[in-house]
Amino acid sequence: MDSFAFEKRGKTSGGGAPGLMILKGLLSAIVLLFGVFMISSMFTHGQYAFAILFTIVIAGGLLVTWMKGMYPHRYIFPSIAGMVVFIIFPLVYTVYIAFTNYSAKNLFTLERAENYFLSQTYRIEGGDYQFKLYAKEGNKYVIVLNNQPTMLADGNPSEVRTYASPETVFFDKDQMEKPSNKTTASKTVIHVTKVDNSYTQDMEDCGIKCKAAFRDYLKSIKIKIDAQELTYTGLNTFSAVKNRFVRQDQVVLGNQETLQNSHMLKDVSDDSLIIPDMNDGYYKTIDTQTGEPVGERMAPGFRVYIGFEHFKRIFNDPSISTPFVKIFIWTVCFAALTVFITLAIGMVLACLVQWEFLKGRGIYRLILILPYAVPSFISILVFKGLFNENFGEINRILDFFLGWRPEWYNEAGYARAMILLVNAWLGYPYMMILCMGLLKSIPDDLYEASAMDGSGPVQNFMNITLPLLMKPLTPLLIASFAFNFNNFVLIMLLTNGGPDFLPEDGVVTTAGSTDLLVSYTYRLAFEGGAGGNDYGLASAIATTIFILVGALSIVNLKISKMGAKD
Amino acid sequence: MAIVQPKSIKYRILATHIVMCLFLLAVLFPLYMVVMISFREGNFATNVSDSFYDLFLPRMDSLTLDHWKLALGMSYVDEAGVEHLPPFPVLKWLWNSIIISFFTSAFIVLLSTTSAYAFARLNFKGKNALLNCMLIFQMFPSVLALVAIYALFDNIGEYIPFIGLDTRAGLILSYMGGIALHIWTIKGYFETIDASLEEAAAIDGATPWQAFRLVLLPLSVPILAVVFILAFIGTITEVPVASILLNDVDNYTLAVGSQQYLASQNKLWGDFAAAAVMSGLPITVVFMLAQRWLVGGLTAGGVKG
Amino acid sequence: MAEVTLTNVRKNYNPSLLKDTLRNINLDIKDGEFIVFVGPSGCGKSTLLRMIAGLEDITDGELKIGSKVMNDVPPVDRGVGMVFQSYALYPHMDVRQNMEFGLKLKKFDKDTIEKRVNNAAQILGLEALMDRKPKALSGGQRQRVAIGRSIVQQPDVFLFDEPLSNLDAALRVKMRIEIAKLHKELNSTIIYVTHDQVEAMTLADKIVVLSPLKESAETNLEQFGTPLELYHNPTNKFVAGFIGSPKMNFLKGQLIEIGEETCKVKLNTGDVITACVDARRASVGDKVELGIRPEHLVPVEHPDSKSRLSGMVQVAEHLGAESFVYLDVDGEDFTVKAASEIPVDTGDSLEVGIPAEACYLFDSQEKAFKRTARYNRT
Repeated sequence: MDSFAFEKRGKTSGGGAPGLMILKGLLSAIVLLFGVFMISSMFTHGQYAFAILFTIVIAGGLLVTWMKGMYPHRYIFPSIAGMVVFIIFPLVYTVYIAFTNYSAKNLFTLERAENYFLSQTYRIEGGDYQFKLYAKEGNKYVIVLNNQPTMLADGNPSEVRTYASPETVFFDKDQMEKPSNKTTASKTVIHVTKVDNSYTQDMEDCGIKCKAAFRDYLKSIKIKIDAQELTYTGLNTFSAVKNRFVRQDQVVLGNQETLQNSHMLKDVSDDSLIIPDMNDGYYKTIDTQTGEPVGERMAPGFRVYIGFEHFKRIFNDPSISTPFVKIFIWTVCFAALTVFITLAIGMVLACLVQWEFLKGRGIYRLILILPYAVPSFISILVFKGLFNENFGEINRILDFFLGWRPEWYNEAGYARAMILLVNAWLGYPYMMILCMGLLKSIPDDLYEASAMDGSGPVQNFMNITLPLLMKPLTPLLIASFAFNFNNFVLIMLLTNGGPDFLPEDGVVTTAGSTDLLVSYTYRLAFEGGAGGNDYGLASAIATTIFILVGALSIVNLKISKMGAKD
Repeated sequence: MAIVQPKSIKYRILATHIVMCLFLLAVLFPLYMVVMISFREGNFATNVSDSFYDLFLPRMDSLTLDHWKLALGMSYVDEAGVEHLPPFPVLKWLWNSIIISFFTSAFIVLLSTTSAYAFARLNFKGKNALLNCMLIFQMFPSVLALVAIYALFDNIGEYIPFIGLDTRAGLILSYMGGIALHIWTIKGYFETIDASLEEAAAIDGATPWQAFRLVLLPLSVPILAVVFILAFIGTITEVPVASILLNDVDNYTLAVGSQQYLASQNKLWGDFAAAAVMSGLPITVVFMLAQRWLVGGLTAGGVKG
Repeated sequence: MAEVTLTNVRKNYNPSLLKDTLRNINLDIKDGEFIVFVGPSGCGKSTLLRMIAGLEDITDGELKIGSKVMNDVPPVDRGVGMVFQSYALYPHMDVRQNMEFGLKLKKFDKDTIEKRVNNAAQILGLEALMDRKPKALSGGQRQRVAIGRSIVQQPDVFLFDEPLSNLDAALRVKMRIEIAKLHKELNSTIIYVTHDQVEAMTLADKIVVLSPLKESAETNLEQFGTPLELYHNPTNKFVAGFIGSPKMNFLKGQLIEIGEETCKVKLNTGDVITACVDARRASVGDKVELGIRPEHLVPVEHPDSKSRLSGMVQVAEHLGAESFVYLDVDGEDFTVKAASEIPVDTGDSLEVGIPAEACYLFDSQEKAFKRTARYNRT
């Protein structure tokens, strides 16, 4: 309706002050240049998802800046971009991961796995040199190397040769922290020359202390003896090394067919060929007859698309589905019970606090809101301490009065009770605040009418207050359900999901009896242990939760719209 | 309403007071305990004394400031002459939390104000669809997408190191996704302000920016303050994303770091109590002082949504 | 000072739906005239005003203020001042700041600003209120500040968007008189929107009657004329029904006799009414509608009573100075405004006289036939 005046001005200001226009152009150009660099670099590194994301964001930004009709969109672009990058993209990316075998074992892309193999080296026989460090003046050091004498055929040891470097400044541990020094070191090649074996006679060996202090530096540099390049291979040794794998694009198989594979590598040490198994996510040696990858899995694995594998496991593999079902049931119960308990407490308190005959309601109200005012991570941790089985104050009280010391963290039943109790403490003020707001909108004359009819406080509550509150509350309760369904912080800080299910139940993943689906997902992804760091599986579970939450929120939107229409 | 009440109401009132007081006791118990524990000697109840009542109402002479010294980054020497150093850089964490929360909330207010302005006052295609989409996506917890968020920042960091992993700027940036509710709140407030005001300003010769800055903004200060405080509290208590993006102990926020006190290998109950009171008290006080307005802001988005 | 000309103006909010709000609006407003846009809600009168102000764009047609085409000129450069229905006073500024705001934005020097503000305050009697915030003002005071805010801008054209609708009845009459005085004082062009036809009749030099646009209609500008022109010679049934209070009575019938000065209509009730209307463009037997204003009805024994009509009394209201009797005439509501008390009660039958000069006649397209006389009840 009223947008006209503003749009009109917006359009004209688009062609505003020339100085501003130049600035705008300059900034756009910088963003464009940097964007193109970044996106193309992402493309070449195989990070297609990210490349697409940033293409969309940068293009969108430039579009709203320069398109004339997009004036209103300039106002919303930053927040929409924020949502796209930090909520929607992670969501989509998570769904994508759910269809891959991404995990600690299959961490890399194929390119990076291949590069890893290509960077692998093995020591050449007889190429090892012992080294020692000698301190010189002005913080300079000399490195001296001796070859390893071998037994010759005639039974005598081979000749010992000694090599020494010029006096050089070494970087110690602290200096190596600096990135600039790190790069300098990695480019350093120290040339050593053959010296007399008695070269070190008058010099003092700096010993293990120096070697430890300069270890990072020594690891980075290379040493050159004639044409041979040595790298650090142990606390006392530098060795001549050779790349273990080289590329080999094709090979003629035993069955006379030619196998072409641009990722095929040849193991120089034993002349075997390895190719990536795209179904399994690992490099394997090939069968020279058929060209099939048949050997052992060679770590590190890489990421491959595995379809619905994880989803099948969630529903079919008992080692996953057993805890999944248990956790799912508990999650639903937890969320529903929490909503019910907090609502019940909150609604009753709201009614009491608004009861005009109750003196001091203001103070009651203030104190009742307190749990909401304390940052939740602090109150949860406070409860964690108070509930401690041996030293916690709650067990001291229970012990004193009842002689009872429940094992809050080791028995599933108690742990769940504790979680519900703590969450009720944390959650009732929100419900109370909501109910207080809604109570105000119930007209007094309804109660006056019911008083004429002779109804008491309980009947008032059941017949007037409750039904009138429930309708506007429904969408909020669903939102609260969804929130508690995913109440990660509570579980993580209070029990971290424990007590864990025992392995004899057929459970191999880390899962506990107080785990919610979210915390289970988190532990699968970020905690080690059996089946740990399985990002793919975690994402698959996350995806199922997405679907649940999405359905819930759409239902919620529908309900609240219906409420708004009335 | 002033309906004439029967005599029995006196007993009902008395009963209500008693129930209320008992409930308040339960509510205040953990808060009282944590304050008390922060002044109590030693890290666990058993160390203190054998009297049950001393546990809850300690004698004055048994109180100590040792935990507070540690929380404030000072060390203390116990009776045996052993020097105790602060177990964690709490003040550093608090500072991190404050910096991150301050900038996050400032940016959130900035972004959600401009967006809310467009949603409340400008016409463009797909406005309602966008608003609904934002609400729906807001319901997906970021915990579930942590792997993706980690990968995202790992990637960004390669190109723009200062917003990569383990940086404050990166964490602040990651919080910019969650502003839909704030947009709704501010939009709701803008809609209660008569649009004729800006039209009057336009006729008076104000540019859209002037109308926004000189008329709409001064009128919206209360709601912007509410959003700022809510965003601040939301950020300072955020755990999952911060715990994934921050690796270095010195970079932790309070919410991430304070778990360390009660991790299974450390049972630093007393030290935790002091740190918790120190960092929790300011937030609690601010919330309580502003609760009248905050409550409105909290429920407005929800009720209207 | 300026005249305002609208030529073939059209407004469409949503071009994808072929639903215009305004169509073919042609107005020629002279300098210094007090023009009132009147019509029921949804007729687009506020939209038309906002289009003149520059708060809505003009889909088609041309708007001129002075001699300049203003279609694409932003509001501030149109030389208009506007008083909003809600007053739109800036709540965070006091009265003085509210009035200064526009002048400050336009970078007037301090002296001019002060002079103009003080002058306006004096005209409107606001001197004592200058430091108050709008919240601390009464409805009438707010109204005056809103007017003052536009006066200081010294616009060529004042635009008022239903300025009195938020005031109570007594205050509304008072403010109405003040606005009329203000117009005399400032002598500038005023365009005023209201849904209240009494306001329109009392204030306007000329009235623009708008109706909600019908799908097929050529325009929704029903009539543009002086208040008395509208009262005596409405161009159609819509204007006739809209102007005048209580509303005009309408009765369906058939032409049975057509003359140069008068014609005869046989109503569906069977009564035959003589009307001073030139109905020669129609023919005998055509369906027509007869209109009679409640205040024009006379007792049957009155000398002007040419024809008569009877109905059953539903309600009789006696106000002392006058009486309203609501009749049921053949199933139609029929209102009679009598100058004196009529001794009737519910259920009675009442017969009223109809002067031939007081009749309005409309054809089946609701267009008015030309009246050959005016009637004033004595």
